[in-house]
Amino acid sequence: MLALSPRPVDEPTVLMLQASPVAVACGFPSPAQDYYDGPIDLTEMLVDDQEATFIVRASGHSMTEAGICDGDELLVDRSKRPRDGDVVVAVLDGQLTIKRLHISAGRVTLKSESTEHPDIVVPELSELVIWGVATFSIHHLRRP
Amino acid sequence: MLAHVDCNSAYVSWERVFRPDLEGVPTVVLSNNDGMVVASSKEAKALGLDLGRPWFELRPHAQRLGVTALSSNYELYGDMSRRFHAILSRFTPELEVYSIDEAFLRVSPRIARDPDAMTALGREIKDTLRRLIGVPVCVGIAETRTQAKLANRAAKRLAAFDGVCVWPATRPEWRQQLMSRLPVSEVWGIASRLERRLVAMGISSIADLAAADPVRIRKAFNVVVMRTALELRGVPSIVAEEDRTGRKEQLIVSRSFSEKVTTRDGMRQALSIYAQQAATRLVRHRQVAKLLTAFAGTSHYSEQRSFPSVLVKLPAPTADPVELTRAAHRLLPLIEDGGRYARAGLMLTDLRPAEVSQPLDLFRFAHEESGIAELIDKVQRKEGRDLLGLGYGGMRPGPSWQMKREMLTPRATTHWDELATVRA
Repeated sequence: MLALSPRPVDEPTVLMLQASPVAVACGFPSPAQDYYDGPIDLTEMLVDDQEATFIVRASGHSMTEAGICDGDELLVDRSKRPRDGDVVVAVLDGQLTIKRLHISAGRVTLKSESTEHPDIVVPELSELVIWGVATFSIHHLRRP
Repeated sequence: MLAHVDCNSAYVSWERVFRPDLEGVPTVVLSNNDGMVVASSKEAKALGLDLGRPWFELRPHAQRLGVTALSSNYELYGDMSRRFHAILSRFTPELEVYSIDEAFLRVSPRIARDPDAMTALGREIKDTLRRLIGVPVCVGIAETRTQAKLANRAAKRLAAFDGVCVWPATRPEWRQQLMSRLPVSEVWGIASRLERRLVAMGISSIADLAAADPVRIRKAFNVVVMRTALELRGVPSIVAEEDRTGRKEQLIVSRSFSEKVTTRDGMRQALSIYAQQAATRLVRHRQVAKLLTAFAGTSHYSEQRSFPSVLVKLPAPTADPVELTRAAHRLLPLIEDGGRYARAGLMLTDLRPAEVSQPLDLFRFAHEESGIAELIDKVQRKEGRDLLGLGYGGMRPGPSWQMKREMLTPRATTHWDELATVRA
């Protein structure tokens, strides 16, 4: 590459010899440099399967007691097998709907987490489509 | 042994992930500017809404037929495609991305020895994609690419396969029957224009081509058709095309306008924007171009048809947006004010890797090292395409002919303010 692109000698050449991600002071080396591996990556901490995880936004108030408020973002991981007690996104009447999945004695209920909203008993298990399992809710504490 | 995986009606299936209400509903996706049908669901195909039908023809009937039409949501498709290929790569160390919605996977020798294991692999691929991204696919597994494509077609057509066809594990009489029923033009790599000549030679079905004498085929056509014939017999003859999605022999940036461009100034703006897009794509692929063709055209149906074009030999291979824009503007003298231009575009050819073709400094463009293309790319990626542009390509408001997408669904996986809504 160098041979293919000769440059005039008076052009300053900058050599990047960066060994550490931390700026190193000239005097003493940073005592942190052997310990620092980069900042916390939220995606790495919150998402197990990146290709199978989707972010959706909640609309409505039926899940407030589960910590999901109107406008919150939810991480939904489709790779997780839904279990009893999971908060899931289910397809109800062609709409994506978030409820708590309750399975007992062959009966499946999609429970709301708010006193004002009724539970939904699923009559036929085969007709229930679980879209994904919600793993985290991003609740906004300070609105802009 | 290779597995060929592709999404069923990809664009429609990807839309349905976030629109479960469209499950079972005849659905079509339209091309740029909502021009024609580019994807059609099974239900829509049953109504005769085939690919290539112009939307203006179908629009009056859509409601009566209960058809839902959507504009192309390229942001969504790009992201779903990325997920599709990334999940496939979990199944093989050798993934060959063939297009936005299909890929070939090398099957490990251990699995390839056992027909049951191959069927199990095919099922697992299909079930995993359905579960993880909600997309239905079909899988064809065979000795060669051409056979794997054929097996995939069989898996799509015959319900008995349930979406997975392992060619060597399929009963020989079924295979024979399939190949004799399908016309030769349905083979991957056989253009329909060759069909008539093949039929004249007595080769009308896929089975005929597989049985034909390869030498005779090569003499009558070319080595490409011969390779296809050999592949149908299970002799691997087509090698992987290296990185089809990345580096290319040529690069085309062209769109049809949603509104006709009738002035030279309008055309100048269009060409400037395309030159910048071309520069960005070259830089991303670390390529430079030596030749640029700029072209424009009126509608084929218009009364005064005109298709001006100009070939510009660039002073040195470049990816520089300033140089490319300057070259593209060489078309302008040929543009007639008052002409009704329906499309324009740029084609860059004689592409080469940027590293090895650095010209002597003497021949470099003065501003090339300042990284204008990289800068524009960086800003546009971060802040959106409209924020920064070069010269005429950066004028605001944007031109009125920009892509028309009237029935666009939310860009749910790439835009924070367009996330899918779940009812709580």
